[in-house]
Amino acid sequence: MAELYELDLSSASEGLKAGKFSPEELFDSCWKRAQSCEKNIRAFITETEDFAREQLKNSGKSSSIFDGIPTVLKDNLCTQGIRTTAASKILGNWRPPYDATVWKLLRESGAILMGKVNMDEFAMGNTCGNSAFGATRNPHDISRVPGGSSGGSAAAVAAGYVPFSLGSDTGGSIRQPASYCGIYGLKPTYGMVSRYGLISYGSSLDQIGPFARTVRDLQLVMQLLAQHDPMDSSSFREKNPDFTHNPNVNLKGKRVALVKEFQSFTLDAPISDAMKHVEKILEDEGAIITEVSLPIISKYAVACYYALAMSEAHTNLERYDGVRYGYTVQDAKGIKEMFERVRSYGFGSEVKSRIIAGTCLTEPSRCEEYYVAATKVRTLIAQEFARAFENTDFILQPVTPSLAPKIGEVDEDEMKGYETDLYTLPVNLAGLPGLSFFTGYAGKLPVGLQLIGARWSDPELLNAGVVLERRLGSPKIADGGVE
Amino acid sequence: MKLSSEEVNEIALESRLVLSDQELENAVRYINNFLDMLDRFKELDLKDVEPFSFAEALECPLREDAVKPFANTRAILDESAHVENSLFKVPRIMEE
Repeated sequence: MAELYELDLSSASEGLKAGKFSPEELFDSCWKRAQSCEKNIRAFITETEDFAREQLKNSGKSSSIFDGIPTVLKDNLCTQGIRTTAASKILGNWRPPYDATVWKLLRESGAILMGKVNMDEFAMGNTCGNSAFGATRNPHDISRVPGGSSGGSAAAVAAGYVPFSLGSDTGGSIRQPASYCGIYGLKPTYGMVSRYGLISYGSSLDQIGPFARTVRDLQLVMQLLAQHDPMDSSSFREKNPDFTHNPNVNLKGKRVALVKEFQSFTLDAPISDAMKHVEKILEDEGAIITEVSLPIISKYAVACYYALAMSEAHTNLERYDGVRYGYTVQDAKGIKEMFERVRSYGFGSEVKSRIIAGTCLTEPSRCEEYYVAATKVRTLIAQEFARAFENTDFILQPVTPSLAPKIGEVDEDEMKGYETDLYTLPVNLAGLPGLSFFTGYAGKLPVGLQLIGARWSDPELLNAGVVLERRLGSPKIADGGVE
Repeated sequence: MKLSSEEVNEIALESRLVLSDQELENAVRYINNFLDMLDRFKELDLKDVEPFSFAEALECPLREDAVKPFANTRAILDESAHVENSLFKVPRIMEE
């Protein structure tokens, strides 16, 4: 038999239920795997072995498929009594007084917390290198980034620490690391999964979602997490999403569109090859390939996104004042000095830049020209997507124009770097679901693509993912830098 | 350049951020590049466009306006270094 850490969520759960191994044996295998890779991958901010072993004492009592299954959480998800940092110095050793709803649901279902994992500070970044705790590395090639911001969550699943994890996606932070690490990641429809207990970055864009090594496992996680939460005012009501796995699902008659304006953009050869390959597979499966035109999105989405994300970030990050939690100083002469010293030391440079930009855009003298204009451009973007989905079921596109870059190989011009997020961030502006799926390898690096659906089409999107996985094959566990 | 280094410094101070010379230099470059990017909006006619809102979010959920105690207030206070008699204590607000 394979090592237990190699099992996906469904298989691990079946094995536990059948008594083939115990929750302790499963955890020990995953923990040992994590320990052997961690010096190379550096996914953890906080390991929670003691907490996990306490949890294991109560395993085997629930009928949930999550009972006894190890997981890790991005470190912007609140865990009661367990350090939660958002990868920032400013939160210090802050221990939240409550659980995020997503963790409460998993914990009550018997999931075992192995640790809190690395991310770009406050989810601002796309490399997982912009962290006060150092950079996480790609488990397929440790000289490369795992992607971000949820890089720790993706790397831990790809390297076999755990069969599934949770991250958050404000502009691509689940889909891009899933792609770089060669696994599946879902950014659900805005409102499909409760955001209660997620440390806010851009509240109208943020969405929690799962990573896994099979699409079926994403369906299992979504079946648990997609439920109304009165603690999140944006949480859906009166929807009844059904994520039941059907291995025989098909795509006959489904319309899958390519974006006309994206066709002239340059892609790394393995990504353009994967696009052609997947188009062919979709046609083989009876889908109809069409084209949509998204001129506003292609030209204005990046500027619109960053204007809104930074404006919201500047407001959300006002709360870090050194009084109620995290890093502080004791000898400030007045409150202004205290705020300035705490914030100037506690925030990293990218976060400071975005706070300053957000403050600038929302000042009364500039608000109409920039912030209000961006909220109007967002309306045009959502309308453009809505029109597109009148004539198509899904949009197929890259996640990124290139494969995982080398660590430190970043664009000197931040704005050029932001432009590479064009394939992911429009989805957040319109609150759509996006699936990042594995297509194969170019050498040892994984190649991912993205399928986007209309709002609330998450179950259909994952069904399409099941078909693609059946044809393309599931990813193998990365070597994690360990031979 | 849309904003001078003095203006950027003023904005930073509004956000309660004191920047080093190097940080300020970077911030000036960053903000000005960013504002250049946002100039794209001027190509669009936004006069009759409504600001964005999610169609489903029109109904704001309400709850009874009643005090509801939080069970774990001790845990909140334990995380602060500025607590006295179960209250947050902050340095003086009025400058001398």
